Amino acid sequence: MGLFQRLANFLGVRKKDVNVLVVGLNNSGKTTVVNSFKSEDDRITDIVPTVGFNVERFQNQNLAFTAFDMSGHGRYRDLWEHYYKNCHGIIFVIDSSDRLRLVVVKEELDLMLQHPDICQKKLPILFFANKMDCKEALSSVKIAAALGLDKIMDKPWHISASNALSGEGLQEGVEWLTQQIREMLSVKS
Amino acid sequence: MSRGELGISRWLEAHTDRSAGLTTLPGNMVLADVAGTGDYHLVLTDLKFNQDTKCRLKVYKGTLLVSDQPLPDIPSSVVGFYADQLEPRIPVVAVACGSELFAYKNLKPFYKFRVPFCPLVDEEAGVWTEVTNSESFGADKLLNALKAIPYASLSARSQYILNQTSPILVAELLRKCGKTMPTKENIITCMASMARSSRDRRAIACPIIATEFGSIFVLDPQNFAILHQANTCNVKATPFIIKSTGLFDVEFRLLIATREGHICLLRKGWLEGKCLIQLTSDIVDMVAVPGDNFVIVATSDKALHCYSKKGQRLWSTTTANLVTCMSLVPLEHISTCMVAIGLKNGSIQLYQGRQPVDFTSVADSPSVITFGQLGQEEHVMVVITIGGSISFKILKRTADFSSKVQENSPMLQSRPLPLPKRSKLFLEQSIRERKNALEIHQTFQQDLIRLRLSAARALVQNLSDQSGIGNEKEQLKLSAQVLGLGPKFTVILSLENINPNNPLVGLCVTFHVNPLYYVLSLYAAKVPLIPPSLSYKLETKVEEVIKEGVESDDLPVGGGKGNCKVIRVFVTRELMPVPVLAATINMPPTELIV
Ligand SMILES: Nc1nc2c(ncn2[C@@H]2O[C@H](COP(=O)(O)OP(=O)(O)O)[C@@H](O)[C@H]2O)c(=O)[nH]1
Ligand SMILES: [Mg+2]
Repeated sequence: MGLFQRLANFLGVRKKDVNVLVVGLNNSGKTTVVNSFKSEDDRITDIVPTVGFNVERFQNQNLAFTAFDMSGHGRYRDLWEHYYKNCHGIIFVIDSSDRLRLVVVKEELDLMLQHPDICQKKLPILFFANKMDCKEALSSVKIAAALGLDKIMDKPWHISASNALSGEGLQEGVEWLTQQIREMLSVKS
Repeated sequence: MSRGELGISRWLEAHTDRSAGLTTLPGNMVLADVAGTGDYHLVLTDLKFNQDTKCRLKVYKGTLLVSDQPLPDIPSSVVGFYADQLEPRIPVVAVACGSELFAYKNLKPFYKFRVPFCPLVDEEAGVWTEVTNSESFGADKLLNALKAIPYASLSARSQYILNQTSPILVAELLRKCGKTMPTKENIITCMASMARSSRDRRAIACPIIATEFGSIFVLDPQNFAILHQANTCNVKATPFIIKSTGLFDVEFRLLIATREGHICLLRKGWLEGKCLIQLTSDIVDMVAVPGDNFVIVATSDKALHCYSKKGQRLWSTTTANLVTCMSLVPLEHISTCMVAIGLKNGSIQLYQGRQPVDFTSVADSPSVITFGQLGQEEHVMVVITIGGSISFKILKRTADFSSKVQENSPMLQSRPLPLPKRSKLFLEQSIRERKNALEIHQTFQQDLIRLRLSAARALVQNLSDQSGIGNEKEQLKLSAQVLGLGPKFTVILSLENINPNNPLVGLCVTFHVNPLYYVLSLYAAKVPLIPPSLSYKLETKVEEVIKEGVESDDLPVGGGKGNCKVIRVFVTRELMPVPVLAATINMPPTELIV
């Protein structure tokens, strides 16, 4: 059973769709992360490339993943921010070997947390310190410190080091996220 | 200088290493995808000027140093260019050391190109042919013969001989190498690269080298054959910066800055460059703005000059501090190309046209600035300072330069102004003016005096008119009323807001009197908010001081010189030194009943 299947089962059969956003800078490993959620037998891929803006959607039953690059200068911002409106959880993928862009990751994270559609909600955020297998990779503790995650008070968050190529660390993170989304939905209903 | 809206910098400080200990010069740092993975690396030379340590070629992947190898000689310049179409696309990095060009691929040297020797000047060649042919050419004779030739045009061997102090050494040298002609090396001073036939970022490009003696070579990127050779200029010129625009196969322009303060232009097909611009002070750095074909030059007298492609000066401006280096900052997403100017005090100014639009700073004087893609990030500025530190700055995705009033590119004033033709009326008038100059002048003066008089009259009228003086700009009108027969009076001031839309706030009223004559119940008062088109009344009690023995009639009354029987009113706005309104109330004399 694929990771995704587990996640879907864990959430149970619900009337309402559950949307999970997968965000991060380009080349951080989002596509690889999303692909590893898909099990061999139910591979429904739906890639929508737009000029300068890439969105990948992948849906099964009532669980949908939307992944996009937080790159491009300003112009496409509105496009991806549009997805903030109805999401239930966020997976933030970070290339932990890209030390140069850690400041950019922090900037994008801060911008996302300040966004009106995000800052009001108690959305769970899962951080993948991805590419942990690279030799220049920073530890998840160092990344959490560099991003100032301890200052996020109003949202549950979790960081796990991962290797999206081998799948290492993904499951731990996804289980945490599922648990959080479930709690959130049960409080609501 | 304006920053982003909230006064926040447009730059993210990604990394600074103050102990990097790097020494490098402009033209020695490039951003290139040396691994062929799309992950751009920083390639630079680290200069060492002492004899024992070798200069090094260093490569940074992101902020990490990943390769560090010694160079055979002191490098003068580094370029990166694509030499072939093979996948994966890996560019060649070429390092110029002395008169040789070392080409690296995958960070390994694979080819060495030597610039052809320069021909000896005729006199020197003559001397050495004699030396090689005759057995008995004395050291003294050689020294005298060489001294007669300008030192700078001699080969290295002749220069070396001239620098020897003892004739024995010269004789020794002569014996050792007297049988061969000396060679004159053509030292490379600077380089550039130029795309061959396509403007693509990864298009095949030719390396261009410029040498100490002013030769320019355009090389074939694959076999390093000389595709084109030319001279910088028809006079002696030592190139030290070369910039290229255009395509080698189509049409190109090379701009060459020389140590003599010229900027020369070399175009496709030319065998000799043309001096385009001549500067009176030393050139520090130069950039060629693509598209517009402008050249921006920084000189040692804190000036920046911009020239059109024809060499006409479009604008000049002065910088706050000495310029140490420059870099183009092309921003494709907003279709502009800015120029980063590094100043001696460690500040880096970003110019859009002649306007500084942003700045950022580093620890000390920047020695080299480059801007471009590094790693996965498109807009990275790398700065090496004279102190040896390296800083990486990333332009924020949200950086907005649009709020700044965009200045149009400077208009050329070469065309005459579109003046209308001289009409018959104009001619007649000018004839009349010449004929009756005196009368016309007198009439004019008379009218001017009359105008002044009526202006003065109006002013006096206005000043003496107590009821209702106003300040148009502040939209305030003041009138005063004096009640009573004395010695006790009541003065009622009325402040009217004549603005129909906005309320008046923050006003104060101050009464100024001579305390020998009047005592007031209220000297100063704050005025509350006056709503639009309404007025506010303020009252003060006035008592005249009647001193014995001083007859009130003795005091000058009315508009006389030392008029003391007045109350001056000042309406002021908080924190403003100049009153908004000032008025004088002439008090009536007290009718004393004795
Ligand atoms: N070494 C390593 N490489 C990874 C890992 N995750 C992704 N990559 C590689 O990183 C590159 C970018 O991944 P991709 O999923 O396309 O990133 P996206 O742009 O965020 O969608 C690809 O070449 C992946 O193979 C990882 O955990 N370790
Ligand atoms: Mg992707």
